[in-house]
Amino acid sequence: MKEWFAYAGKLLRINLSKEKFSIEELNEEDIRAFLGGIGLATKIIFEEVDPRIDPFDENNKLVFMTGALTGTPIPGASRSIVAAKSPLTLAWGEAHFGGFWGPELKKAGYDGIIIEGQAKTPVYIFINNDNIEIRDAGKLWGLTTRETEEAIRKEVNDEKVRIACIGPAGENLVRFAAILSDERVAGRTGMGAVMGSKNLKAIAVRGTNTIKIKNLQLLRRNIARLYPMIMSYPPNQILASYGTNGEMLSFYEYGDVPIKNFTKGTWDGIHKIEGRKIIGNYLKEHKACFACPVGCWKVVKISSGKYAGVEGRAPEYETAASLGALLLNDDPESLIYLERLCNDYGIDTISVGVTIAWAIESYERGLISKEDTNGIELRWGDPELIIRLIEMIAKKEGFGAILGEGCRLASSIIGKGTEKYAMHVKGLEVPMHDPRAFKGMGLQYATSNRGACHLQGTFFRIEQGERIPDLKIYRRVYRFETKDKGWMVAVMEDWHEVLESLGLCKFVQIYPGHVAGFYSLASGIVKRVMDLQRDGERIFNLKRIFNVLAGIVKEDDTLPERFLKEPLEDGGAKGQIVELKVMLKEYYEYRGWNERGIPTKEKLEELGIYELVKRKCDELGVELY
Amino acid sequence: MSEALFSEDEVKTEIIRVMKTLYDRGLVSALGGNVSARLPGSKEVWITPSGVFKGDLHSEDLIKIDLEGNILEGYLRPSVEWPLHIAIYKKRPDVNAVIHAHNPITTGLALAGIELKPITVEAVVTLRRVPIVPFAYPGTDELAKLVADHIEGVRALVLQNHGVVAVGYNLVEAEAVVETLEEVALTQLVAILTSGKKELPLIPEKDRELITRLYGLK
Repeated sequence: MKEWFAYAGKLLRINLSKEKFSIEELNEEDIRAFLGGIGLATKIIFEEVDPRIDPFDENNKLVFMTGALTGTPIPGASRSIVAAKSPLTLAWGEAHFGGFWGPELKKAGYDGIIIEGQAKTPVYIFINNDNIEIRDAGKLWGLTTRETEEAIRKEVNDEKVRIACIGPAGENLVRFAAILSDERVAGRTGMGAVMGSKNLKAIAVRGTNTIKIKNLQLLRRNIARLYPMIMSYPPNQILASYGTNGEMLSFYEYGDVPIKNFTKGTWDGIHKIEGRKIIGNYLKEHKACFACPVGCWKVVKISSGKYAGVEGRAPEYETAASLGALLLNDDPESLIYLERLCNDYGIDTISVGVTIAWAIESYERGLISKEDTNGIELRWGDPELIIRLIEMIAKKEGFGAILGEGCRLASSIIGKGTEKYAMHVKGLEVPMHDPRAFKGMGLQYATSNRGACHLQGTFFRIEQGERIPDLKIYRRVYRFETKDKGWMVAVMEDWHEVLESLGLCKFVQIYPGHVAGFYSLASGIVKRVMDLQRDGERIFNLKRIFNVLAGIVKEDDTLPERFLKEPLEDGGAKGQIVELKVMLKEYYEYRGWNERGIPTKEKLEELGIYELVKRKCDELGVELY
Repeated sequence: MSEALFSEDEVKTEIIRVMKTLYDRGLVSALGGNVSARLPGSKEVWITPSGVFKGDLHSEDLIKIDLEGNILEGYLRPSVEWPLHIAIYKKRPDVNAVIHAHNPITTGLALAGIELKPITVEAVVTLRRVPIVPFAYPGTDELAKLVADHIEGVRALVLQNHGVVAVGYNLVEAEAVVETLEEVALTQLVAILTSGKKELPLIPEKDRELITRLYGLK
């Protein structure tokens, strides 16, 4: 048996229909080609899942995976991923989370878990090192995520157990339901709903083994000496003091914060809901994920007024924008409550905010009436309304059941032209960076495999002036220009596949050259930046093929019409639209994709995955070209 | 947090190494300047002693205190600036190392009413915003409070009529910040003295946009 370093060396496969589990050795060849984390999950799902399947079918598989470096002392090495075919996009789905669950799973001896089948009644899985149990979750069903974590810790009588679980939204198959662990959220693409469809309430983990490191001494020395560099990543001191929402005012200056469903460029309310104000007034404590030197995780508490006693994770930037600026809600205390509420129910705050914004705009335009909304008047800037709608969504009550389908499906149910106001790409609601402020972000949204995703490249950083010489991004590119954005976005997307495969946080940000060194020292598998980058490209392209087989076509690589045709009248992105076509052309050429947006045979051969793809196509009886 | 990366002995050894380096570079003097550090997330801090010649400190000279200033280990008197150090640790859980040095040129420029400018890439990337803290008498609660009021979101402070403070996740980082302060100040001073101008060519705005906006610099 091979001795693994950084990796645990084993995967756990659990079939809920058969109530059985098995343990598999990691395949060395797969690790060399797909690294771990999202890369390994991609390989497994691609091989084992029919991309045309109904995401709630028992044959869909839900894969939890730690990154190759998760659980090592490398700064930011806390991350885990969860992937499956998405019920929201009906294509590739994935979400990521930090905290402590991943390191705990690896210490229990597993790099990841493949969940198959569907339990007949609600269950949860308890992994205690070698001991694996599928337990009854009848009493947990219906509980919030917070209550679920408390109940399981009590039941297994261990405060140190780490739990990833769903709330009522996941149980009720809300298409943008999230999975939570210690208030860290795997939010996007409805992975919580897939978990709910499998009648799986939670995965509780306790691990006490040591993760072996190939060259611990040199790794520790290098990490310690590189802190000045790592902590020089520009936003770090802001994130450390105020969390992600500490950047809101800076984003606002660019015209980047979406206001009133992406129709306005300025709004005074911004000064009430930005992070420095919220942290200044409500901070209770600072927290940090495993191995994190930054600690963007803030806990806030409201001591008086309508929400007195509400305590929890401070609104992240995405939440403050999606349930604040996007809906013209300038009440910071309601945002603290809403973050709590969405986390309790297990709901993605981005998707829910964008879906509600679609409903309010459509209502305002007379396309949705009180008949559709169970008599509720929809209006901007009303925190009580937002709270009420979120409760209806989580419980799938009345109009909430329609909203819980996500804005793409909901707008097709309502029809009447409301599709125009549904801000999504490939069914995934657009996150809180207006691509008219950062045009490369528009290209990233249009091409990311999971739909509109701000994290598959975080390209706005490049457009704010960051250079990454290690990836040959030397030139200062401007946010409104389109030249070179095609290849640069592709490069950043590939690099972010690497980060998601290694389990590194994107908010800590370590230079690629240092990442390669850390990976080599920790795992004993020597890789240079360009080796990793090639792995990232392989992963990205394999997901693309999955999407092509799921029915994604070139025409899906687009943006909501608003970004392409309607400039904002004021603010930092005044007068701008996204010139997507020209960037997309350069992007396809760089990627080696044909005119239908499919990776060419030559490209797949170059990446060493042609045979894998061919086998899949033969099995499905499909021809790619 | 990465406790696994450090041990208490390593923290103490690092404090001694850093004090020696700073002394050799003239950034702390015989009796001026102090350094503290802790294990990530710890509520106990190792700090240099007060009144002992700074050029020749040893591990056994260090004092361990808690976040209330109570002495837990050691036989010397902790630096009189311990309230300043503690105030920073309380406010900034991401900080595990604090250096208070007497950078002569940085402090001198501040006395002349001259702020550090984005004249080098290091000034932009490493230093960003460096607030100047109004004078308060060394070792007082008042100084500690003023420092705490200014330390959010920054890596370094200039203490008017006194010196500088730099913070980091570990001592190497704080040390890098202290050295960069003096390097930038010296470069700026040379430029001012030789040109006779206070307005200097700066790193172009386009190349410092991200930091300028994030840290509210204009």
